[in-house]
Formats: sequence, structure tokens, C-alpha cells
Amino acid sequence: MSTTFDRAASKAAASPGAVRRPSAMRRILAWLRSDLRAAVSLAYLLLLFSLVLFAGAIAPQSPVAQSMDMLAPPDATHWLGTDDLGRDVFSRLVHGAPMTLYASFLAVCVGSLIGLPVGILAGYLGGWVDTLTGRIIDALLSFPSIVLAIAVTGALGIGLTNSMIAVGIVFSPGLARLIRVQTIVVKNELYVDAARSFGMSPLHLVWRHILPNAIQPFIVQVTLLLATALLAEASLSFLGLGVQPPQPSWGQMLARAYGYMEISPEQMYAPGLAILFTALAFNALGESLRAALDPTRRRSD
Amino acid sequence: MSKRQALLLGSRLLQVIPVIILATLAIFGLLQLVPGDPAAVIAGEYATAERIDTIRHMLGLDRPLLEQYAVWLGHAAQGDLSTSLITGEPVLDEVLRRLPNTLLITVLALLLAILGGVPLGILAATHVDRPLDRAVTSIASLGVAVPNFWLGMILVGFFALRMGWFPTTGAAPLTQDPLRALSHAALPALALATGGIAEITRQLRSALIEVLSSQYVRTLHAKGLSRTRILWQHGLKNVSLTLLTVVGLVFNRALGATVAIEAVFAIPGTGSLVVASATNKDFPVVQGVVFVLVLIVIGLNLLIDLLYSLLDPRVNRR
Amino acid sequence: MTAARTLVAARDLGVHFRLDRHRVLKAVDGISLEVRAGETFGIIGESGSGKTTLGRALVCLEKPSAGQVLHDGADPFALSGRALRQHRRNYQVVFQDPNAALDPRMTILRSVREPLDVAGTLPRAERQALALQMMERVGLSRDFAARYPHELSGGQKQRVCIARVLTLRPSVIVCDEAVAALDVSIQADILNLLAELQREFGLTYIFITHNLGVVAHVSDRIAVMYLGRLVEMGTAEALLARPLHPYTDALLSSEPVALPSHMRPAQRVVLGGELPSPVSPPSGCRFRTRCRFAQDLCAAREPEWREVEPGHWAACHFAGALPATSAGHGTAYTPVPTEALS
Repeated sequence: MSTTFDRAASKAAASPGAVRRPSAMRRILAWLRSDLRAAVSLAYLLLLFSLVLFAGAIAPQSPVAQSMDMLAPPDATHWLGTDDLGRDVFSRLVHGAPMTLYASFLAVCVGSLIGLPVGILAGYLGGWVDTLTGRIIDALLSFPSIVLAIAVTGALGIGLTNSMIAVGIVFSPGLARLIRVQTIVVKNELYVDAARSFGMSPLHLVWRHILPNAIQPFIVQVTLLLATALLAEASLSFLGLGVQPPQPSWGQMLARAYGYMEISPEQMYAPGLAILFTALAFNALGESLRAALDPTRRRSD
Repeated sequence: MSKRQALLLGSRLLQVIPVIILATLAIFGLLQLVPGDPAAVIAGEYATAERIDTIRHMLGLDRPLLEQYAVWLGHAAQGDLSTSLITGEPVLDEVLRRLPNTLLITVLALLLAILGGVPLGILAATHVDRPLDRAVTSIASLGVAVPNFWLGMILVGFFALRMGWFPTTGAAPLTQDPLRALSHAALPALALATGGIAEITRQLRSALIEVLSSQYVRTLHAKGLSRTRILWQHGLKNVSLTLLTVVGLVFNRALGATVAIEAVFAIPGTGSLVVASATNKDFPVVQGVVFVLVLIVIGLNLLIDLLYSLLDPRVNRR
Repeated sequence: MTAARTLVAARDLGVHFRLDRHRVLKAVDGISLEVRAGETFGIIGESGSGKTTLGRALVCLEKPSAGQVLHDGADPFALSGRALRQHRRNYQVVFQDPNAALDPRMTILRSVREPLDVAGTLPRAERQALALQMMERVGLSRDFAARYPHELSGGQKQRVCIARVLTLRPSVIVCDEAVAALDVSIQADILNLLAELQREFGLTYIFITHNLGVVAHVSDRIAVMYLGRLVEMGTAEALLARPLHPYTDALLSSEPVALPSHMRPAQRVVLGGELPSPVSPPSGCRFRTRCRFAQDLCAAREPEWREVEPGHWAACHFAGALPATSAGHGTAYTPVPTEALS
């Protein structure tokens, strides 16, 4: 009897490829090192984030102070010139960044807060709950997104926060559907059965096993939705439903610039490019995440 | 139409009804989202209590909720979408008057998206991971990230103002003066199409790559079938279903995105109507426009569903 | 000598799955059996026979659609949610696919500790110690604690699953094809481990497999399953030496025998055809479509499940009256009664 025990033990000790899994930080750094696009995007986004704190330091000119120097071309004091009310464009751009980021994240948070629990519930419980939820999701997805956002904003009252909540509501059905599919897949895994046989309560099951294993595609989608939220905010502000003056917002800046396009077309470029680059960064990050988390590429790290 | 196809059509129609009902519930529910008293909000800041009461009664807001919904739904089914609070005109008329302008740009954009996206997608898929593919993929990534109303602005600035090739604003009725209508719609449609081109390119590319690298196709290749024949006969046939689904998605998105485009090009369409009415709290108009648009989207999706089931024999079998 | 008590019993158990509006799959269709404390009860059947569903139903992982499962005489599903969750800790499963049975995001130690974490009765340090202890008991050194499932071999992962189950000190463990997915050489190791653990912890096993060689080696009693029903049940010796049902006979004779050709039994029963669809089983006796002795009676009437000899049950109209080609062939698989080893 002891011989079988020893054989097993010695085999276990001599097993090959026994590498300890590197810490999360290490893995993130390795990912960034391998994917230039992701690294650049992340750096750019972190820069934007830092503007929340350092906007004043980088762009000392006030974004709302009007002057007589209207639609001036770029010069030493006004690096990007001034807008139609004599306000410094560069400063408005820089001070508008935190607003923009806040808007994107708000929309995505609202969408997740609604979509995640609904999707998990539908996926886990199945039955009529799932069918009903599915139909509601179908119904909501038949609304052209911006139109629904506008309608909800109209009801809630215009303004940045309300319009972003509206966008979040528009996001939620798609997110719910996504996590629902993943929940169903994970729910049927054997280790969930095992956990159930240990007497795990359903809530505990969802929290410990289903959520961590189902969340990856959700996270990728959320990152991509940041770009969509950004574009949505730009559109809504452009239309006057989002950020209200005099708060600077890239979308709003575009709206004003359009009015003076014939006189000073360069006004359009700065905010437009800012929106474009930020959306690109979010997208690149999301796509990199998707590729990095792809299970078909699973090798032992 | 065979009996089975008729049954399928019937069941699909039946499935659509609960979705429509739920959508109408959502539209009706919009009014409930208004914080505080909707009547007061509509009446405005300086309204008297009397005025608020009048509005409340006029809109039937003092009746029980379910009754309000039933009444609204009943009217809507008959084509009565109530009247605008601002102009007093029937909502449906206004919507129908503006709808052709919006639909023109949307459909045009869709066509451009297909005409642009399909060749690009094929190009990318047949040159996978080579410079051409990378270029196309990068352009597609760009297309998804660019704010299309900004693109519209640039197009106006260059092609309309500078070159004078296209009119800058407005729209013209298609039936009376097609050429003028199209010239008005060209730039907006182009701006609208960028997102669609990008999406179709991407989806087509990945679907085609999957088909072209499948075992089935590789066997055909080994048997000596030329690459172009494989592409046309097998690749595209399999991919046409994906294309159909993406088209539905792109249309849905485009219909929404016209809102900003219409603002840029000053087109009197449903998009600008929705914005104006939302800003002015003209809720019947908001609800009316959304209702019509939703019906259009559901209708199109139903059509796509049916085409899908007709083209894909697997879907039919239960 | 006191009779061992029945820990798990099935009374006319049925487990049905609705495939769509018109079709129902009766994976388990009227099974009655009793598993006594301390024994190893083997269940053998082809894939599609419903044996996995039966195993899952016996530990409350599937709800009975008909009949009952009894744990120590009581119906566990009569218990409320919380009580049921506590009760089922005593009845565990070791699954066929150890890879799928472990959460890929949890370290080995956490997986092994998980049942204790859920029970929550012991302080964390003690749970940790107990988990490590169990790991060592199944032959995994402490180095494995911080590793992830994808870093382990199949045999090692199965040991983890066994350790995990043992932390609960269950009374009954269902081994559902527990060694089928492993290399043959590892299979022996795991089976030996299971045997040791049974003696040490006084476990009762329900051993489900399609491999007759394995089940004959480990079981005290064996039940043979076909298309959702039992066709024969008895002690291992009785079944192997004197199979009463043609299906058992065919299974026995189709096993490869490590004997020179002139010593092999003259006739081999070839089990023709395929398993009929469990959704619409054949009328009368379900096995008749592949049975070389099938008569009109077999199509007309379902055979009764009766005790043909003391402790030896079969469901065949002609049980006991048929020539068994593998009679005496059972010497190739002399089962080792557990008493003999102690």
C-alpha cells in the first residue's frame, strides 16, 4: 500500500512545466510590451485622465473668459487660437477633456449597472424570466440608439448627466444580452455542478464562479462602448442636448465652429481630431484586450 | 409559397407582436421618466396652476396609467399620433412629411456602405495579414472612430463651400426633382456611410476569412478549383447571410445617426424633428417620431429575418 | 451480523428531459436499486444508457421526474433550500472530466478548500490545513497548492477532485467514469487510491463506467443498465460467473481477454447494431433489437424485473434459461472482495 502512495507522490513532485503563474501586474506589463497599439492608447488615455487634475496647470488660460480677440489664429498666447467669443481654444480643449471622460464613463457605468444584473439573472434563471427579458431586450434594440437617447434625454431634461444616463440606458440591452450568453455557457460547466454539490447557494455561485468566468467578453465590450459613448456625447453636445454652455465640451465646440466655418474653418479641426483620437484609443484598447483575452490563444503563462 | 414557408412567416409575424407591444410600452413609458409632474414640465416655468391643469387634462394625464396607455395605443394603431403641443399640427403628418428626406439619406448611405464595404472586405480577406489587409483594417478602424457629423462638416467645407460641387444645405423632394434631391443627399449620405462601410468591411472580412480557411474550402482548393471560383461560388454564398445581418445593423445605426447629420446639413428630416421636440419638451412629437422609426426598424428586421430563413435551409428545419 | 444500512436508494426513479414540444428523453426510466453502507456498487452501461444521469440523480444533481431518490431512507428533495444544501454535502461526485470539474481561475488549494469555505464552520487556518492535508493524502505535494489546473496532468487533476470531495468526509461518493479520461497506467493508480481511501474513511462508492474490466475489479455488486433501465443486478461474482441477461453476457464476452487463442471461449457474442434512440425505445423488451434470442414475446411484453436467484435480479423473459457463452469466463476477472484485503 505504501508503494502506490510513494509512486504517486514522487511523480507529483517531478512534474514538468510547474511554473508559478505571474502576478496580475506582471501579466499586464507583458501584454503592453507586446502590443504597441495598446500601450500607446493606454498612455494617451492616462494622459487625458491626468488632465482632470492638471488641466489648470497645462492650460492656464481660462476656458470661459471671453475677450475681444475673436477667431484669432494660433499664436504664442493662444496656441490654437480663439473661438467666436474670444475664448482660448486650447484651454477649452484641455478643460473639456475631463467632461468628456466623465461622460463616457458615466454612460458605460449606467449601462453596466443595468445590463449586468439583468443579463446574469436572465441567463442563470432561464425559463420565463429569460424569455421575457429577451423580448424586452429585442424591443429596446429596435430603437435607433441615438434617437432613443434623445427621447430619454428629452424626458429627463437636457444636460450632460441626463444625456449620458440616457446613453447608458441605450447600452444596457446589448450588454445584458452579452453577459446572458456567457452566463448560460458557464452555468453549464462542470465546476459549477461541483460547487453546487458542495452546497453552494446560488448567489454565492454567481459571485464566485459564474461572474469571474463570464465577465471577459463583457469587459472587452465595455471598453469598446467607451468609444461609442464618446461619440454619442459629442453628437448630443453638438445638438445642444448634452453639455450646456459655458462648460466646454468637444462636441459643443464643434457646433460653434461649424457656424463660423466659412470664416475660420480651422476651428473645426482641434475638437474633431481630439474626439477621433480618443475614440481610436478606446477602440484600440478594446480590440487589444479582446485579442489578449482570447481563449483560443491559451498557453500556459 | 409552400405551406411550411407560410407557417414560418406566420410564426415570425406572431413573434414580432410582443416586441412591438413592448416597444410601445417603452415609448409610452418615456413620459413617465420625466422627473416631477410632466404637465408642469410641459407647461413651462411661468405657467399658472390653471394652465398646468388644462394641459394635464388635455393629455389625459389624470387618468389611470393603464387607461392612458390603452387610449394612446388605440389611437396609434389607427394612425393618430396625437398633435404637437407647440404647433398643434397632427404629429403623423409632420413625421410623414419629413420621413422621405431621412430615408433618402439613410438608404443612400446603406447602398454606399455596401458598395464600399463589400469590395474592401473581399480585398482584405483575400490578402490576409499582408500590407493591403492591414491598410484596409486600419481604414476600417478609423471609420468606426470618426464622428460622422464632423466628417460631414469637413465635406461641406471642402466640396460644397470650396468646390461648389454640391449644395450645402437643405433637401429636395425625390419624386419631383430626383437629380436635385440626390445632389442634396450625396454629401450627407457619404458622411453617414463611413461607419457603415467600416462595419461591413470588418464583418465581411472576418466571415470570409473563416469560410476561406475552413476545411471544406481547403479541400476544394486541393482539388484544383481556382481561387476566384472558390471565392464566388462558396465564399460569398456562405457570407451573404452574414452580410444580410450586418445590413440590418447598419441600417438601424444609420437611422439614428442621421440626427446629427441632419443638423449639419440643415435637412428637414425626422432626426431634426426629434431633436427640436426633445429640446422643447414636445412629448407627443417625440413619441410619434420614435414610434414610426421603431416600426420601420422592426419591419426591416422582419424582412431580413424572412430573407435569412429563405436563403438558409438550416434555419427552416425545426 | 447486522445488515448494512441502505445509504442511497432509488424507487422507480425516472429522470426525463424535454427536448422540444413533442419529444421527451427519458434518460432514466423506472429504476429501483439500493446501495448499502461500505460497499462499492458498480453501474455499467454503454454511452447513452443514462448511467451518468442516474449517478447525478442519486446525489441530487438532477431532480427526479418520477419516483424517488432516498438518502438514508428519507427524500432529500423534501428538504428546503438551505437544509438541502447542507444535506447534499454528504453525497458527492467525482466527475469524468477533471479538467472541466475545476474552475480554471482558482488555484488548486482554493479548489480543494472550497467545500470547506462553503460550509464555513471552521476558521480559515484550519480549513487551509485540512485542505493541504487532503492534498497530501491523495499524493499531491504542497508545491501544487499555488498552481492552476492547466498546469497539471489529467491524473493530477483527478487527484485534486478527489481531495476536494474528501474534505467534506462524505458518506457516499459517485465516481462517474472517474478514470475513463485518463491514461491506462494512471487509471490503475487512481483506482488504487480510491480503494485505499475507501478503507481509510469508510466510504461507500457508486462506480459508474462503461468499462467492464474496471467495474468487475472494484465492485461488490454490479447493476447493468440499458437504455434507461436496469437489465441485471447482483453480486460481482454472480454476475460474472452466471450472467442471467443476454446483454450482460454479450458485454462479458466482448471484453478483450488476455489469454492465448486456444484458451479463449469458443464463441464470442457479437453485439450487433447500435443503441436505439432513447427518445423512442423499442416496444416490449428494449434490448430485443440486438438480442440474439429475441422472440415475439419480447416485442409484445416488457420483461418483469424479478429476483431470479437470491440477490440476483434480471429483466428478461428467459432469464436463467439461456446458454451463456461467457459462463466460467468470469475467471479472467476475479473480483477481489474487499474483505480479503484487510
